[in-house]
Amino acid sequence: METLQSTMHPAGTDAAAIAQLSWVLFVGGGLVFAVVMGLTAIASLGAERRRRFLSERKFIVIAGAILPAIVLTALLVYGLTLTGTRIAIAEADALRIEVTGEQWWWRVRYPDSGGDIITANEIRIPADRPIELTLLSADVIHSFWVPNLAGKIDMIPGTVNRLTLRATQPGEYRGQCAEFCGGPHALMAFHVVALEPAAFDIWLAAQREPAASPETALQQEGADLFVASGCGGCHSIRGTAAIGTIGPDLTHVGGRLTIAAATLPADAASFARWIRDNQYIKPNNLMPPFGTLSDDELAALGAYLEHLK
Amino acid sequence: MSDEAHTLPSGYPNPLPRPKGELERLEAVWAPPTGIRILTAVNNTYIGLFYVGAALLFFVLAGILALLMRVQLAVPGNDFISQGTYNQLFTMHGTVMMFLFAVPVVEAIGILLLPQMQAARDLPFPRLGAFAFWTYLIGGLFFFGSLFFGLAPDGGWFMYPPLTSTEYSPAENADFWLVGIGFIEISAIAGAIEIIVGILRTRAPGMTLDKLPIFAWSMLVFAGMIVFAFPAVILATFLLELERAFAWPFFIPEFGGDPLLWQHLFWFFGHPEVYIIFLPAAGMVSMIVPTMCGVPLVGYRLIVVALVATGFFSFGLWVHHMFATGIPSLSLAFFSAASMAVAVPSGIQVFAWIATIASGRLRFTVPSLFILGFLAIFVIGGLTGVMVALVPFDWQAHDTFFIVAHLHYVLFGGMVFPLFAAIYYWVPAVGRKPLSERLGRWSFWLMFVGFNVTFFPMHILGLMGMPRRVYTYPENLGWDGINLLSTLGAFMIATGVLVCLIDLARNFRFTPSENAGNVWQAGTLDWLPTDVYGNRSIPIVTSREPLRDDPKLSKDVEAGRYFLPGTATGKRETLITSAIDALPQAILQVPGPSWRSFFAAVFTAAFFLLLTVKLVWPAIACGIAALVAMIAWLWQTDPGRNHAPVDIGGGIKVPVYLTGPASHSWWAMVVLLLVAASMFIALVFSYLYLWTVSPDVWPATTGEHLPAAHWPFISAAALLLASLAVALSGRMLAAGAKIGPWPLRAGLAAASAVLAVGWLLDLCGVWQTGLRPDDSSYAALVYTFIVIEGLLVASAIVMALFTIARSIAGLLTPIRRVTFDNTMLLWHYAVAQGLIGLLIVHGFPRIAG
Amino acid sequence: MPRRSPRKKLKDRIRPRLKEGAAWFGIFIAAMIVGGFLFTWSGLYSVAATSGHWPGFGLFLEFGMRSSVRTHTIGIAVPPLHDAALIERGAGHFQEGCMPCHGAPGRAPNPIAHETLPEAPDLVASVPTWEPEELFWIIKQGLKYTGMPGWAAQQRDDEIWAVVAFLRQLPALDAGEYQALASLDVRDQAVSDEVLAQSGPPGVGLATCSRCHGLDGQARASGAYPRLDIQTSEYLFAQLAAYDDGTRQSGIMAPIVAEFDEAELRQLADYYAASGVAAADDADAASESESDPAVLEIGRALVIEGLPDEGIPACISCHGDNPAARSPLYPALAGQHASYIAQQLMLFRSGARRATPAAEIMAVIAERLTPAQIDAVSAYLSGLQPGAMSETAP
Repeated sequence: METLQSTMHPAGTDAAAIAQLSWVLFVGGGLVFAVVMGLTAIASLGAERRRRFLSERKFIVIAGAILPAIVLTALLVYGLTLTGTRIAIAEADALRIEVTGEQWWWRVRYPDSGGDIITANEIRIPADRPIELTLLSADVIHSFWVPNLAGKIDMIPGTVNRLTLRATQPGEYRGQCAEFCGGPHALMAFHVVALEPAAFDIWLAAQREPAASPETALQQEGADLFVASGCGGCHSIRGTAAIGTIGPDLTHVGGRLTIAAATLPADAASFARWIRDNQYIKPNNLMPPFGTLSDDELAALGAYLEHLK
Repeated sequence: MSDEAHTLPSGYPNPLPRPKGELERLEAVWAPPTGIRILTAVNNTYIGLFYVGAALLFFVLAGILALLMRVQLAVPGNDFISQGTYNQLFTMHGTVMMFLFAVPVVEAIGILLLPQMQAARDLPFPRLGAFAFWTYLIGGLFFFGSLFFGLAPDGGWFMYPPLTSTEYSPAENADFWLVGIGFIEISAIAGAIEIIVGILRTRAPGMTLDKLPIFAWSMLVFAGMIVFAFPAVILATFLLELERAFAWPFFIPEFGGDPLLWQHLFWFFGHPEVYIIFLPAAGMVSMIVPTMCGVPLVGYRLIVVALVATGFFSFGLWVHHMFATGIPSLSLAFFSAASMAVAVPSGIQVFAWIATIASGRLRFTVPSLFILGFLAIFVIGGLTGVMVALVPFDWQAHDTFFIVAHLHYVLFGGMVFPLFAAIYYWVPAVGRKPLSERLGRWSFWLMFVGFNVTFFPMHILGLMGMPRRVYTYPENLGWDGINLLSTLGAFMIATGVLVCLIDLARNFRFTPSENAGNVWQAGTLDWLPTDVYGNRSIPIVTSREPLRDDPKLSKDVEAGRYFLPGTATGKRETLITSAIDALPQAILQVPGPSWRSFFAAVFTAAFFLLLTVKLVWPAIACGIAALVAMIAWLWQTDPGRNHAPVDIGGGIKVPVYLTGPASHSWWAMVVLLLVAASMFIALVFSYLYLWTVSPDVWPATTGEHLPAAHWPFISAAALLLASLAVALSGRMLAAGAKIGPWPLRAGLAAASAVLAVGWLLDLCGVWQTGLRPDDSSYAALVYTFIVIEGLLVASAIVMALFTIARSIAGLLTPIRRVTFDNTMLLWHYAVAQGLIGLLIVHGFPRIAG
Repeated sequence: MPRRSPRKKLKDRIRPRLKEGAAWFGIFIAAMIVGGFLFTWSGLYSVAATSGHWPGFGLFLEFGMRSSVRTHTIGIAVPPLHDAALIERGAGHFQEGCMPCHGAPGRAPNPIAHETLPEAPDLVASVPTWEPEELFWIIKQGLKYTGMPGWAAQQRDDEIWAVVAFLRQLPALDAGEYQALASLDVRDQAVSDEVLAQSGPPGVGLATCSRCHGLDGQARASGAYPRLDIQTSEYLFAQLAAYDDGTRQSGIMAPIVAEFDEAELRQLADYYAASGVAAADDADAASESESDPAVLEIGRALVIEGLPDEGIPACISCHGDNPAARSPLYPALAGQHASYIAQQLMLFRSGARRATPAAEIMAVIAERLTPAQIDAVSAYLSGLQPGAMSETAP
């Protein structure tokens, strides 16, 4: 969908304001360009009398210095008023979310939502409520960017950056790392899902729950393989022995839109592919490839993870 | 020795006919080396041409990298190029275009054309020019070669830590960037010094600053900017290499460092860099437009003001590359304003060109086409520039393809199009015949259309959310078609460039003597008839476009009616004139072909490259070889033996040798010290910046690691003493025969010893506190102050020993004392910087508390 | 002028002579080549080993060989060779791979070896005449036309150095000491014979395996060889299979494994997996006391908690005690010998061991470990009782 990650289809207050500014700039810029080209044309092809004015010094001063100075000052003021809005501290009812950029995925925490809710590569927010994002980095510089909602801001090791945004309508929006962070930087994306407040509360409540326990035999086999293969060394599944914190929390991974930072859909087949071929799908990512697992075992793991809604 | 300026004669300085054999002698002296010895050529025409050729080679190479990237991005999810290779490709494309093409090529054109524009026979430091070129070529080729071993840098041309720190880039790729680029910048600085002194001191008599060709003005600003901008990035690369090699934590937060320090230092260079590249191009446009319209440039003074203003402003807006880092909104406001202000001078120039076109009749030649193409593209680039200068817009556009589009409109449009105009315009000045108008038009239209097809869609891509530096993208975001289109455009550009290269291959035949001449009826001196020696005689300049205002000028110059129609001392010479009003002051004997500067360059390049691949011992060997070659080369620079003042015509007798502030080498040394100073200022900035970021690693908090007060005082005293000793030695040198040479030699030796002791004391003082450079960013900075001062002290001492050696060889007399004067300059500067360093390292923590 | 003329004359006199000489030389060379070819073609030269070399020719070949080795070993750095584990590891291989031809203290070489040309040298005499790096190079590369083979696993320099370390000791050993080094359980030959007898077909194999890994599979405390008693049969067989198809490289194991078919390998794996149960309690693990507690704490943290900030998962998450809750391809580590663990981690880290899927996983993690961390982990794990890893978990 072409509007999934676009600055020109704003769905957030900041993005909307900037999009408006952009249109002003594009139209204004277009006019200026047309005028300059027109003048050049007249200067090089026009009749003698037309060209006389253009050849005077005062024309240079007016067109080259005075007019630009006026226009630019106006623009600057306009721009600065917008600049202010983002820096302003979030309103009281803002929802706090902590996002950490890691090579090459996003760790997402909901600090004050009862219980420590940790998810990855997907940020669910209530529509029409200010969201105060705390942006951190675990390794190198990343940049947090959801074009439809707001401008980008970097995630810098040793610094805490904040960004407040507000989604004006429910929907799915795609974000992507905008600062080159090495290796598969191109494959470090995520989704923001804005929900109706009620729906959001339901989702949040579900997130607080521990992971669903396996129901079918296949899922059970997957669960056992998850432990036996040592997945728990890096991943957590709340309510099981898996308490690793190196990789994404998988407690409700089956309920997400994508895995591997928006590289694959979150379905059984993709889980299976990822576990064995992740180094081919996303070169240099930090997870080892599990060639030790047979197709059946992978299918079992996939079934189990997909079941973790 | 007399350096007072002479007034210019009204008539012709020299009578006709010229004595027999004068021309032959002149030709003999300037005869270029042949065969393999062509490598030893140092004359600006040859070096300039090599330089332009090499720069164009890198342009083509980096362009090929761009094509590879475009192929990879043509379709979503493409696997034509692996992720790792792609990261190397875009890093190298940016780095090579910026450091190995854009800056060198304009420097090259300056070296090639400036002397001609000023009717000088050569630049004041031909061997320095040659040295700069060879280090650049060899270093550049090796740097590019790293691609073929998968060792090419892959952290982006901006090399942001911590991605480029050892922890996340353990391999040598990053070192190739740091060391390779580090010393290519040094060669750029060498060229800049050459250009500054050349413009200020070797102009034709009467060519006052307000008659200086605009291109020379732009090159003056260009070189000035290099002097102040490059040291910042040289320091940055130095710090990062220290961090990588010895774990001095400048950029690591855990140790009180800050990744943003790199960004400040890098962009303090990086933004001016854009104008460093653009201004000379604008200068070329201001030379070509009047010629093509057959009228003088309208608004000459406005343009000069605009050039200087641009250079000035460009240092005040580096932060607009960091709008998205979350820095305080107040500074955002300031830098946003500055970024917009810089648009005004560019506007002035654009309309000055329009006015010039309007005041004449534009001939639609190939150069004119490229100029018009440049106007269209550059205006768009300027407008998008204003857009991204607006902080909120930048938050969306930053690091997207919108920026890719913008920067190519500014750099490709603003620099490459004028460059091709310049190639078609100036080839007749160095070649037997002009290039083909037909091929030229093909080349232009292919490049112009291709350019817009490639880059205009990228604006839209960026707004549609496509970030930069991604090696692939998914197909469901509507980016596919646009990317394919822009890939097609890229190949169109390539074809256009290819056509131009074919044209060059078919029609460009270099000749120092029988060039096609003034085919465009231009008015500036670069179109005077030239030969291996430049102009037969050096004209008196009375207007901005002498050739247009005095039709006979060419014939008179060639006949030898003006100054210095032959060789006055039997050596290669050029005329030194006063900086402001360009009155003859002296004859400068410029050095001829030499292996010494060539080998100095070869070994310098080898030294750095071997160091990069950690071959320490061979590197050290080459380093020593380079040093030897340089000393051998410097030994010849001041040929010794006093030559009586000579007659250059018009009853003007000028000395063959100048000392003190009148000497060209004094000027060069002053510029060099400016370079050192701006590097030191960058270091002080780093110190204060990191203090504001993490004061907790400063002694006030850690409560230790500060030597007792007597350490810095003793060391300061020693430094002052050293300076005093050198000053006294100066007196002894002046006293000359009365006291003999030994007091001077002893004085210098003593001064060297004291200076070394002073520096060592500081080192020991810090060391005995138990502070170690890898403790914290504070510790690392303290030691960096000491290291950099150490480098200065070392070179000051080397120069002192060199001076003693020359004195012993009898090459240092109360009159021929340039070696000593330059040593003294460096010496006092080293002491001054040492004292400030002591004040900061020992004083600041005490007051800042 | 007069001074230059005589030199000119000299030149004129010499030049024709030179031409003449060159011509004759050319003819001579040509004759040699043709003659040499004819002689070889005639087959008059006997290649019989029994016929020996012409007098002096042997010495010449020896000279050539020594020179070649000397030149090719320039710049080879010698690691420390006094570690007991290293020497024992070398001894174990010597018995299997070298003794048959070279003999050993108290063991005459196989008579076949007497009839080779050159005869395999008595190492007791010849080892002292070589530098360690020269021995290393000969063992790794082998020697042309002598019957001396190169090392079967070219990536395993560590094994080759082990053999060198042993060879350095060899000259000083008497028969008893050699026996003690080369094979375990010689002390109570009776017991081992009995076990070999009752364990049927694998008995032959056990005879070989037990020399180093012992009949109880606990190998030596020095860690020259890994304990096998703590592993599952699946894991052991997977490793033997990997040695067999070369995906796990070892110049020591590969030749041994090559002697058995799959069924025998499975039986051997079963035997040692079974021996573990009995052995678990009387396992004399290296006492913790010898290691510095600070180091052990680092090791413990890595084993139980891992180092998340550096992307290092806890060992226990894959190598836990319960074989049922552990991939059959993952080994148990509690109680394994330190020197063996450290050596293998270094192999993973250097990429020398990453050819099997399981090794690929371990290699990714080992790359994130520093040598210091590797030593700490090894020390801690070796200090544990088998199956006691999780007891220390919080």
